[in-house]
Amino acid sequence: MTVFVDGIAALLDPTVAACFVVGLLVGTLVGLFPGVTGSMAVALASGFTLTLEPVQGLAVLLTIYVGANYGDRIPSILVNTPGTPAAIATTFDGYPMARQGRAGLALVSSAMVTTGGILLSMVLFVTAARPVAQLALEFGPAEMFALVVFGLAVMVSVSGDSVLKGLIAGVAGLVLATVGRDPITGDARFVFGVNDLNSGLPFIAVIIGLFGVAELFDQLLTHRPHTVKPLSSLGRWWPTRSEYRQMARPFGVGGVVGMVVGVVPAAGGDIAGLIGWDRAKRLSREPERFGKGSLEGLTAADTASSATLGGSLTTTMALGIPGDAVMAVMIGSMIIWGIQPGPSLFTRNPELMVSIAGIMVMAALVSLAISLVRTRGIVRLLDLPNHYLWSGILLCCIVGTYATTNNTYTVWVMLASGVVGVVMKRCGFPPGPVVLGLLLGPLAESNLRRALLIDGPSSLVSQPIAAGLLVLALLALVGPLVGRARAARRRAGVR
Amino acid sequence: MTAPDDSGAPAAPGARPSKPMEVAVAAVALAGFAVVFLLARGIELRVETGGIDPRWWPQVLGATGAALSAVLLGRAVVGAPARREGVQEATRDGRVRTVLVVALAALYVVAWPLAGFVVATPVFLAAGAYLFGGRGWAALLAFPVGLTALLYLLFHSVLEVPL
Repeated sequence: MTVFVDGIAALLDPTVAACFVVGLLVGTLVGLFPGVTGSMAVALASGFTLTLEPVQGLAVLLTIYVGANYGDRIPSILVNTPGTPAAIATTFDGYPMARQGRAGLALVSSAMVTTGGILLSMVLFVTAARPVAQLALEFGPAEMFALVVFGLAVMVSVSGDSVLKGLIAGVAGLVLATVGRDPITGDARFVFGVNDLNSGLPFIAVIIGLFGVAELFDQLLTHRPHTVKPLSSLGRWWPTRSEYRQMARPFGVGGVVGMVVGVVPAAGGDIAGLIGWDRAKRLSREPERFGKGSLEGLTAADTASSATLGGSLTTTMALGIPGDAVMAVMIGSMIIWGIQPGPSLFTRNPELMVSIAGIMVMAALVSLAISLVRTRGIVRLLDLPNHYLWSGILLCCIVGTYATTNNTYTVWVMLASGVVGVVMKRCGFPPGPVVLGLLLGPLAESNLRRALLIDGPSSLVSQPIAAGLLVLALLALVGPLVGRARAARRRAGVR
Repeated sequence: MTAPDDSGAPAAPGARPSKPMEVAVAAVALAGFAVVFLLARGIELRVETGGIDPRWWPQVLGATGAALSAVLLGRAVVGAPARREGVQEATRDGRVRTVLVVALAALYVVAWPLAGFVVATPVFLAAGAYLFGGRGWAALLAFPVGLTALLYLLFHSVLEVPL
């Protein structure tokens, strides 16, 4: 009970409320502008929050995370452009609804099911995170190494078209993590006499570069002016009773899909939205209406993508393995605040878990309220010229990175990461595995070396949990390859 | 799973598959991991223990990365170039704009300690806005000065970061 009271009391500080408002505002705007993703915004904001207390910083980052899940639906529905990848499936039925004069209904329904999805997933976080963490506390070095391998394997399998390129990106991240002092003996590695490198590469700078600046550079490379304007006629706003009933089944389907996908390390709202939409279509009595303005399709897609949030938090906080790309960035910030996400977090900072759940629930409810009253006005922001957006983002990336160390060396690392990141993106190498490798590299190396030194290589296969996780990692890598081979055979058969 | 295709979206052209690019990228990756392996062998240790020492893990990673890159190179040489789904075709203007922005950002990072944040930042923002197509007093004067003031207030005064 004391833990609960302490966790909630921490949120009553007026500075936390201010951080909450800032995060929500930024998150909604971030979602609204196509191209500015949640992970990009959280990476960018992490530079601003490092000097804050953990609860204040989490209030900013988590509310951006939640707010982006509302804002990104608006351009998806009104201009057929997903605000973030999590809203890709929203366009399938949201935009056709808008073209049919039902944009208001789509926006309000989307906000309601998004809130429902987030609240549903928070039940999962509150009930499952602690037991999962307690189980993980039993892990020895072999299990911890296997867990990191599993996390990396899943990240590789879901974050790009080529498993091979994902693996190379993951290994590159692990190599970057070896720069600096050895985690066991303290010997210098790949430092080349540069003092700044002794403490390793500044991972916040690398993250901002790979997620924020690289995305910006890619937009600069490919930008074409287009003429699609937001719709001016939004139609009616509130669903009728029969429409509420129509939304019930896809809400359930989307909720289950979202929570399951959210728990899987590295899998986020983009994947969940697509799977949720597809599952709901298969179970619908009117599957032929999907993709043509179906309220069921919109409900399933938005519920599924938003219901990943609680699952992602569970995996991140209980195991220390990021549940999605945003969580990968957030782990970086938490480490800087002196908080190591993982099983021990629940024994060392149990009240922080209550604060996190409180922030998420409040953010969802306030976002819903804002969504229901402000949409007409905020739609006009879609017309904001790019020269403000791009210049502002680049400057915020630079200043935010500088603020992490007060040293321009960090900014150079960020810019270099941005250039490398855009080259990687255009060549098909996903940035997620690089960041995960960089963050979890020391954990993987120290635990593997300990496991090998204490029990020898057999410990990796003789411990059931470690062996099981390694088998799951292998399946995660092989699964997509088998799926693609089957699809190719099916296509060949059709021809 | 099939996504609907009748939504009327403005379709941006996808990037074309490129065999030379695939080969070059794989070759660079192979060379990079080979260098990592060689550098790892040369790491100086305070106490030589042999076996699983601080050189071991970087060597494992270098060798693994090189092996994966070799497979990628082989596939790039022998097979058809990979499709580049999700990557849009770069424009000529876009390439020029990106190179200029990288140069501008580098110039700003050099100028910041020399001229100070308050002087260098509005100039950087005005140049950036101009480069991205902004014209007029709002884009080239009010926006740079306003954003600089806001960031200075936030970082220097509120967060106490010495800019």
